[in-house]
Amino acid sequence: MGILEKVADNRETKAWYGDIPVQHLYTAGVAGERFLSEIRDNGKILGTLCEKCNFVYVPPMIYCERCFARLTEWVPVSHKGVVESFTVGYIDMDGKPLPEPRVMAVINLDGATSSLVHFLEEIEPDDITFGMEVEAVFRPKGERKGSILDISHFRPVG
Amino acid sequence: MTEEVAIIGVGYTAASPVTPEVSYREMIYEAAVKAYQDAHVKPKDIKSFVCLSEDFHEGTSIFDEYVPDQLGAVLKPVHTVTGDGIHGLIEATMHIQTGLMDVVAVEAHSKASNILTPFHIMAFATDPVYNQPLKMHPYYIAGLEMNRFLLETGNTREHCAMVVQKNRQNALDNPVAAYGAQVAPDDVLQSRPLFAPLSKLDTSLHADGAVVMVLASAKRARELSDHPIWVKGIGWCSDSPSLENRDWAQAVYARLAGDAAYRMAGIRNPREEIDLAEIDDTFSYKELQHMEALRLCREGEAGLLLEEGTADLDGDLPINPSGGTLGTGFLYEASGLYRVLELVLQLRGEAGKRQLAHVNTGLAFSWRGIPTTSGAAIVVSNN
Ligand SMILES: [Zn+2]
Repeated sequence: MGILEKVADNRETKAWYGDIPVQHLYTAGVAGERFLSEIRDNGKILGTLCEKCNFVYVPPMIYCERCFARLTEWVPVSHKGVVESFTVGYIDMDGKPLPEPRVMAVINLDGATSSLVHFLEEIEPDDITFGMEVEAVFRPKGERKGSILDISHFRPVG
Repeated sequence: MTEEVAIIGVGYTAASPVTPEVSYREMIYEAAVKAYQDAHVKPKDIKSFVCLSEDFHEGTSIFDEYVPDQLGAVLKPVHTVTGDGIHGLIEATMHIQTGLMDVVAVEAHSKASNILTPFHIMAFATDPVYNQPLKMHPYYIAGLEMNRFLLETGNTREHCAMVVQKNRQNALDNPVAAYGAQVAPDDVLQSRPLFAPLSKLDTSLHADGAVVMVLASAKRARELSDHPIWVKGIGWCSDSPSLENRDWAQAVYARLAGDAAYRMAGIRNPREEIDLAEIDDTFSYKELQHMEALRLCREGEAGLLLEEGTADLDGDLPINPSGGTLGTGFLYEASGLYRVLELVLQLRGEAGKRQLAHVNTGLAFSWRGIPTTSGAAIVVSNN
């Protein structure tokens, strides 16, 4: 047993090109539907509360991942919050340089236990600090589509 | 452990940035032939086969159907685990502990050089409703985690750079490693930022390779092997998959996986009882984060161990003597098996130039990579 001979000439190595045409639908679900509709229609961010765990899920879930309870209590959370972490991105999905660096942040909205990951704009990267206050910037009402991108980005408060 | 299990054979190809001369099947075949010879078994002696793969990494649907032939596993019990190689070792260990199988083979491989859109696939693993619409290179997740980890623990970018220096240096003495190099900490600090504070040199580069391991029950291990490496403890764990509900600083999954493995192995003080550790360093900061989570040092002290040289080859607790993933290469599902491979070679006294003195017990820990919060730990010993 064992491989007796391998291709040792680069000019003879062969590979076939292929791609996978993947298309799919992703159901937002009971919780996602209400969360995204509320952002689209009213510019409001909703979560669900697990009273037992004292945990507010944003995006909301209809069950608690900690105690496994079914969650029925919806609570509005603020569109303002604090930066828990941030990173300055320089590359696109193919590894090529982005035209402009793009900042992403982990944002803990006031009233939520979860934290959203989103773009942070309208600030120089060097000026960003942990714990700084930021707010959601919603797209104009007519342009909202029921997507997480109906929040176009976050920006410093004030 | 209730029923003792040992690793009795290892077979592998050297990790390489590209492998145009062989197909993934031929690569696995080569590793299998070597492993079976090392274990003194023939395919007919192997009662079950556990493979690790992900369809999108292979470019094939239902890829688990593509594994029996190159392993000598046609018409045998075979199944695939979608996890890291150490998840597969754990699975094989439990197969043997059922008493149904006495010899089991585990296989993992990477043909990373054939994946033309690796980061699209990685991004495709994030939540399609809440994360994918951002359309960002998925390394943002590492950038966010690194920044928060450094803030909370007081470890620094310099410490991360020392991890890169150590592991790529160690890899120079490892013929299996693809990315051995002398890198100064300043090179890392000044390398191109990808998702600051994460720079280009903080990240591992992909490699191709295959590893096959043969495990056996105590009875068969003693019959077949002169140097069985005993599985003493296993543990695995997944945190919340969502970016929104995970811990951005601590590797809780590693803490729990490690604790489970230690408990089974009867280890109370890992820092004293573990002689060497091969732990995930897919990104430089991950080694520090995993050291702390796995109790190889106190929280916030991983960088200190690097400064003191404790984690070096000649230190008190060598970490990633193989060069780790930064030095060996990022090998997808096979990454964890390359970590365990180093433990087996070291504990047998077959690690060549980088052989450590007086090592009996080793820890390997793997992380399944971005965007996961899944890890698996294994403690092995030569006695
Ligand atoms: Zn709960």
